[in-house]
Amino acid sequence: MSEASSLQTGAQLRLYGCPTCGRVSQLLHPIADSTPLPCPRCATPLHHRRPRSLQRTWAYLIAATILYIPANLLPIMSTSNVFQGETLHTILGGIEELRTGGDWLLALIVFIASIAVPMLKIGALLVLVITAQRRSRWKQVERAQLYRMIDAVGHWSMLDVFVVVLLVGTIRFGPLGGVMPEPGLLAFGAVVVLTMLAAGSFDPRLIWPEEEAPQRHP
Amino acid sequence: MTDPVPSAHAHAPFAPAAARATVTAAALAARHDLVVCNECDAVHERITLARGTVARCRRCNALLGRGHVIGTEKLLAFAIASLLLIIIGNSAPIVTLDFQGVVSQATLPQAIEATWNAGQPFVAVLTAATALVFPLVFTILRLYLLGSLVRGIVPRGFVPAMHMLAFVTRWGMAEVFMLGTLVAVVRCASLTSATPGIGLFAYGAVTLLITAITAAGTHNLWKRSSEIGGNA
Repeated sequence: MSEASSLQTGAQLRLYGCPTCGRVSQLLHPIADSTPLPCPRCATPLHHRRPRSLQRTWAYLIAATILYIPANLLPIMSTSNVFQGETLHTILGGIEELRTGGDWLLALIVFIASIAVPMLKIGALLVLVITAQRRSRWKQVERAQLYRMIDAVGHWSMLDVFVVVLLVGTIRFGPLGGVMPEPGLLAFGAVVVLTMLAAGSFDPRLIWPEEEAPQRHP
Repeated sequence: MTDPVPSAHAHAPFAPAAARATVTAAALAARHDLVVCNECDAVHERITLARGTVARCRRCNALLGRGHVIGTEKLLAFAIASLLLIIIGNSAPIVTLDFQGVVSQATLPQAIEATWNAGQPFVAVLTAATALVFPLVFTILRLYLLGSLVRGIVPRGFVPAMHMLAFVTRWGMAEVFMLGTLVAVVRCASLTSATPGIGLFAYGAVTLLITAITAAGTHNLWKRSSEIGGNA
C-alpha cells in the first residue's frame, strides 16, 4: 500500500482508542506492561492488543466445532399425531421439508442461516486465528473484511432455534398433533453462542502485526 | 470522527464525578483531535462528518463514524415507540392456528414456557434472553439514558448503563426472531390454517426501530454526557 508509509499506529504513538466509548488516550510516560490501563472515561481496560485473544478464540472455536456434529446429526424437534406417530426432524430434514413443500425461498433462507453461516463462520475463524498466529501479512484488507462479515452475520443462525420454540408453543393440539424440542436444538443453540463468543474474543488488530515489538519510545 | 468536537469540550473542567482519576488516569491524556481504529490500531485525525456521510479507516476499511441523520430527540421517540411495541409484541399472539375447529395460539412468553416445560430449559432461557429480555433492556436503557441527557442531566449509573447497553446491543436478536416468526408461520401453514397475529407485526416494527436506534451508535451519548458532566 502506497499510503502505508504515512500511516502510524496507536502502538507506535502510545495512543489507545477505547473500544467502548471511543475516547483516545495518550500514555504520557512509559509504564510496565502489566500495569492495568482503565479508560479514564468508562473504565474499559485499554490494550494495543487484547490479552490472550487467540487462546480464547481457539477455546470457543474448538468447542463450537465439536458441538456442531451433534447439532446436525441429532434431531432438533419431533412432531407427533395419532395417525403417523412420532417423527424426528434434523436441521437438514427441515430444510428438505420446506423445499419439497414448494417454499424455495424459505428453504434457502433457513439453509443460509442454519448450515451456510455456521460452517462459514467456523472456517473463517480458523483462517483468521491461524494467519494471526503466524503474524501473516497475506491479504490483510480482505481478512479484515472477513472478520467484519462473520461478526455481523453470526447471530442469524439463531433462526432455527426461534422457529422450533415458536412451533413448540403454537402447535399444541394434544393427541391430534404436537411439537417437542429435541437435544439437537440444545447443541445447535450452543454452537451459535460459542461461535459468537469466538468472534467476539478475536482481536481484529491481530490481523495487523506491528513491524517489531510495539515501540515504547517513539 | 463522528461528530464535531467543540473546542470547549476539550477544556471542560473536571466535575466531581470524574474525581476517580487515579495515577494511571492522569497519565492518560485525552486526545480529542484523534481517532484510533478499533479494528487495526491505525491513527487518524478527527474530522467533522456531514449528515449521512460515513468515515472509514484508511488501512482496514472499518467504519470509524457516521454523520448522524437522526437527532437525539427523534431517537427518544423511537425508544418510546419500541417499548410500547415490545409490550404488545409479547402479549399478543404471534400466530393463530385453526385445526378443524380447534384453535391454538401462542405469545412469545407462552412459547418460551412451553419449551421450558418440554425439557429444554437452556433453549428456553436462551430464547427468552435474546428475543425478549435483551431487546427490552436495550429499549429501557436507551429511554433512561436519552431521557436524562436531553434534559441536560447525566443519569445515575451512566457508565455501567452504557456498558450494559453495549452488551444487550450485541446479544439482542429481535430481527432474527422476526424472521423466525415468518418461517414458523409458513411451516404451520403447511399443516393447517395459520393466521399471523398482532404479535408478529409488533415485532416487525420493533425490529425496524431497534435497527434505526442501533445504527445511530452510542457516540452521541458519550459526547452529550461529557458536555454536561465535563468528565474526561
